Amino acid sequence: MAERAVWRWGVARCVALALALACFLSLACAPAYTWADDASVETQEDSAVDERAGFGLNGFVRYNKGAQRAVDGTDLGYRFPVADGSTVVVVNMPESIWVHVDEDAAEAAGFRADDVSDVEALIVLIKQLDESSSRGGALLADEQKPWTVTTGGEVLEGSYRYVFRAQAGEGVYTSVQPAEVPQGSTPSQAAAVSGLDLGDGALWVDNAQLVAADEVATVAAPTWQDELASFFTDLDMRPFWVSLKTSAVALAVTFVLGLVAAWKTMGTSSRLKGLLDSVFTIPMVLPPTVCGFLLLLLFGQSTGVGRWLIDHGIALVFTWPAAVISAIVVSFPLMYRTALGAFEGLDAQMLDAARTLGWSEGRIFRRLMLPLAWPSIAAGTVLAFARAMGEFGCTLFFAGNYAGETQTIPIAIYFQWMSGNTDVALFWVIVVIAFSFLVILLINIYTARSQRYRARGLSRGERRAMAEMSDGAAQHADSLEEHGGDALRIDRAALAELLLGDDSPAGRGC
Amino acid sequence: MSSMKRNKISRRAFALLGCSSVFALALTGCGVNGGQVEGSASADDAAAEETVELQIFAANSLEKAMPEVEALYTEATGVTFADTQYKGSGDLVEQMRGGAPVDILITASAGTMDDAVEGELVDESTRQDMFVNDLVIVRGGGSDVEINSLEDVANVEGNIAIGEPGAVPAGKYANQSLASVGLYTNADGEGGEYAPEIADKVSLADKVGTAAQYVSTGDCAIGFVYTSDVYRYDGIEVAYTCPDDSHKPIVYPGAVSATSKNAEVAADFLDFCMTDEDALAIWAEYGFELA
Repeated sequence: MAERAVWRWGVARCVALALALACFLSLACAPAYTWADDASVETQEDSAVDERAGFGLNGFVRYNKGAQRAVDGTDLGYRFPVADGSTVVVVNMPESIWVHVDEDAAEAAGFRADDVSDVEALIVLIKQLDESSSRGGALLADEQKPWTVTTGGEVLEGSYRYVFRAQAGEGVYTSVQPAEVPQGSTPSQAAAVSGLDLGDGALWVDNAQLVAADEVATVAAPTWQDELASFFTDLDMRPFWVSLKTSAVALAVTFVLGLVAAWKTMGTSSRLKGLLDSVFTIPMVLPPTVCGFLLLLLFGQSTGVGRWLIDHGIALVFTWPAAVISAIVVSFPLMYRTALGAFEGLDAQMLDAARTLGWSEGRIFRRLMLPLAWPSIAAGTVLAFARAMGEFGCTLFFAGNYAGETQTIPIAIYFQWMSGNTDVALFWVIVVIAFSFLVILLINIYTARSQRYRARGLSRGERRAMAEMSDGAAQHADSLEEHGGDALRIDRAALAELLLGDDSPAGRGC
Repeated sequence: MSSMKRNKISRRAFALLGCSSVFALALTGCGVNGGQVEGSASADDAAAEETVELQIFAANSLEKAMPEVEALYTEATGVTFADTQYKGSGDLVEQMRGGAPVDILITASAGTMDDAVEGELVDESTRQDMFVNDLVIVRGGGSDVEINSLEDVANVEGNIAIGEPGAVPAGKYANQSLASVGLYTNADGEGGEYAPEIADKVSLADKVGTAAQYVSTGDCAIGFVYTSDVYRYDGIEVAYTCPDDSHKPIVYPGAVSATSKNAEVAADFLDFCMTDEDALAIWAEYGFELA
């Protein structure tokens, strides 16, 4: 009973440790989120408002590049799109920054282009939104250029003419043209003649809708729970299922193949055995990329074998079966080697004895070899599963990185990090750690249970308890090896009885 | 007694084996079922308006902008997209050569598209230049690295992230620029050596995005990437724009794959990318200039 309690306590401690680890890791990644304290209302991401000035901006968008392509046959020079409904166009020119405000919209929003405080308020709003939609590009706020707010349709500056809202086709564009366009020529032709690069005329363009303060789009400020919830709803869970599916199928195949290969190899002549053994083991020694490359050559279009296979309907490259094959190839040697080691460690005379009793080889394998070698086989299975789960190089080579199909967790971690989604990569790292921890824990529990018969005599906890009660004999028990402890303890007890009355209990150098 | 024990263990072993194989079968079963569900769903759609799924291979720098354009196209036409592959252009061409099914290829250099044309991987008649881009030197946000000319690269303290020139066009353009000031030996940007003053500082990346990420995480002080990459990675800023005449023009050619089963839909999508107003707005936002 006491033993069971101690065992339970050990499990509880392990689980607590695992939880602590998970908590620590999730805290470590917490800075990826913003922790809003109050659940107040705030403006939408692409909006900003100045309550005092009485107006704000909606639907802010920043166009970092334009295009020098004709729109439905109309040449506009270098042009940027004007977003639907936008009434404010900001052009960052080489020497200055111009803000064009639509007159009607200005009036509706209560904005006056000749009021200095209104203009200043608008510029502050633009700078603020330009920064939040800059995606790391240069900022209007950092530009040391004069700002001008206008309601006029076009402006001349340097060698460029800017038309803020040029109609063409079905859309509206902000167009950059040469200052002088000769009669009968188009802006692009004129620019080509004078060697002017129209693309240099505008560094970037911002669009927004000018509205009254009470029309600015707002959203409830997201709490950290909301952000967490949205993180998990946006999260693509498919890598987990792909990983699980791939490694489980691979493990089922590896388990059978590995055992059979080990069994059959054991029975072959020594020369053939050496060859088979090398072939079966080599994927463990080779870098996974080499395995992947060889598989790609074997099944891909670049070799005759591959083309023959593809012609016969076996097109595996960059499909899910390819991921399974990769996992099988790299995990097989682990299963095979541990099983072979365990089988070879069995007493050959015992197997011969079974043969003399008329057992078939199959029966010996099932009834004798498998059960006796089971602990090693179980260990090999775990190793093979872990290897299949962690497979990266061979899978990437042979099966590629297709989300929901061949993108396993290790591949997802690499590619999410590479594309800047560090929080998603971190999430998968935590999942892998937690999952591995769970697997190891389950295995330890299973091993502890299945090998309980080995724990003869007293557990360590009980021994300690005994030592506290009578620190005489038990202390010596501590210094003894665990195996064979029973026999020695009996001797010791007998000895103590014999020498009862003597001050120093014997035991030195027994 | 002992034989009984053995029997027990072996029975347990077999129970476990049975369980694991049932589990595995169940999982594959799930997969098959999932596939069937998808299949029947697409069959239903096909009955309505013949849905197709396009597989696009696109240059790595398009990784953030392309999904938005795809979503736009799906909304407009119902055509769906398989998981688009964003890798170094050279890798994409190799992957096509390896036998990956593809409908559309968009690379970041004329050279890689030439390879695809030579290998008869794409239909040359559909080839068109889609975007142009600029090569820039980026530094970490707030870093005090100052670069006023390409020569300054030699004096930078810290590592320099450059795409692997064989697979990453941005790396090739970067080497051409470096060659223009004598920091690389081959003016083609490939197959040469870096000058001794930078040779041990160069860290080669497998994609242009990786080079940007190296700078963003601070592992490298500067990196050679496209202007458009600045808008898709946090924490990097432009330190210097490489002069246009220091490297070959950066164009992104697109073409329909020679093996595409949906060649017409694929060509329609390429056309949509270049003409639809909303699509153009997305390219403009992410800093891709139409060619």
